[in-house]
Amino acid sequence: MTSRPTVSILSADGSAGSSTHPLPEVFKAPIRPDIVQTVHTGMAKNKRQPYAVSEKAGHQTSAESWGTGRAVARIPRVSGGGTHRAGQAAFGNQCRSGRMFAPTKVWRKWHQKINLGQKRFATASALAASSSAALLMARGHHISSVPEVPLVVASTAFADAAIAKTSAALALLKAVGAGADIEKVKNSRKLRAGKGKLRGRRHKQRRGPLVVYNPEEDGKELVRAFRNIPGVETSSVYALNLLQLAPGGHLGRFIVWTSSAFAALDKIYGSTTEPSALKKDFLLPSALMKQPDLSKLINSSEVQTVLRPVRGGSVTKRTLTQKKNPLKNKQVQLRLNPYAAAFSKEKLGQLKVDNGKPASTGETFIKLVHEN
Amino acid sequence: MSTNISSDLIWEITRGHSSTLVKRKGAGGVQFSRDPLNLKNKYTRKYEGFVNDKAIGIRTGENGGVVLMTKKADKAHKPASSLQTSTFGSSTSTRKTYRSIANSTAKRSYRPDLRADAVARASAIRKSQKPVKADRPTKARGAKAKKEAEA
Repeated sequence: MTSRPTVSILSADGSAGSSTHPLPEVFKAPIRPDIVQTVHTGMAKNKRQPYAVSEKAGHQTSAESWGTGRAVARIPRVSGGGTHRAGQAAFGNQCRSGRMFAPTKVWRKWHQKINLGQKRFATASALAASSSAALLMARGHHISSVPEVPLVVASTAFADAAIAKTSAALALLKAVGAGADIEKVKNSRKLRAGKGKLRGRRHKQRRGPLVVYNPEEDGKELVRAFRNIPGVETSSVYALNLLQLAPGGHLGRFIVWTSSAFAALDKIYGSTTEPSALKKDFLLPSALMKQPDLSKLINSSEVQTVLRPVRGGSVTKRTLTQKKNPLKNKQVQLRLNPYAAAFSKEKLGQLKVDNGKPASTGETFIKLVHEN
Repeated sequence: MSTNISSDLIWEITRGHSSTLVKRKGAGGVQFSRDPLNLKNKYTRKYEGFVNDKAIGIRTGENGGVVLMTKKADKAHKPASSLQTSTFGSSTSTRKTYRSIANSTAKRSYRPDLRADAVARASAIRKSQKPVKADRPTKARGAKAKKEAEA
């Protein structure tokens, strides 16, 4: 394996040509879901439009409190008579036709400032995550027919406005194995639950592949060609957006690169040592751990050599085992009483106490006993 | 592909949310998996197929029998060619099927920890493919029921 892995460039019919491109440095950026998530929540708030209830709502009456002594609550009450409204409570948030509690204001803080360094980190992180087939699958993309991740299509397929029609765009995506993902999006279209239906967000559907192109070389005709394919989005490589790279803050968007856009990545993001040509004061973040594979770390000779050898060898002390009765369990008995082995081998336990008849005490003794 | 992504990292990223994860509140918040390369359908580091470099999957074959799928560890970034499949038809005896599954995976030190689970899954699939025996007609018991059966 070479020091820099390469990615093969697919031709328009989906076959891998002989041309390859080294993997841009940005794909080696550390993957930090925490940064991506916080930046995403901030960025998602920046397209909001202000809303509020009317300033006058609930206050368009000349209600006054009746004060104490009328056996009713001291809440302001609508003055006058001749209508049911007269005498009803007003203004309070607990009142019918009263104002809401803490009426919403248009000057709420709608937008979030996000530090530029964090935004760039998140973008680099999301790009790096898009090179992992496992993360793409975890996000829900159908990529079992995709020949390689990251998926790079030769820019010659887009040259001279070759992809200006949706039919051509669809054929290209199907040829490179993205057809299943588009089919998934098509089948996922569902009516949205709730009021969003009335507010221009009638349907919900999954996201499909993101086509990243280089406007200087691929032209912009492809944008129109791709825009009516459900779920497919297009983005210039110079204006990548985290909301598209990590929808919902979840890493692993399926990206279809044009080869010129892929080649431009090194110029745009630079490397960990080489500053970016287009972003001011930007070096790619480098990983804190050079080796993220834990089992490799643990089993490495560097770690294993400094560890003390395992004590006790293959025999491990078992804790919390059932206590055995040494009188019934031979092995436990032997551990406590090494003599037990010889004892049972000699069958000492079964020996009869055989000393013969006791010797007679003798005649003189009997005579003595019987003497009166 | 690149060296900055390991199985451990992928698991830490996806253990909370993933397209294959099925969370249910019942039964103490069980977590199941929809991954075809998950032998026990449990969403864990050991069994989840897309997380591990090497994984075994067993599914029903088109014409009965079982299909064994294994992941090629060196083709992790080539999804279209990353699966190795072999089919064991319904005419292959179950013992031979289990033997082949164990021989082609665990015996060759390809996930030896999954040997029993792979065989168990293949066994469960083969068992489900057996024709269902029809229940025996119930015998009428008792004088009244016998009389009714005769009539």
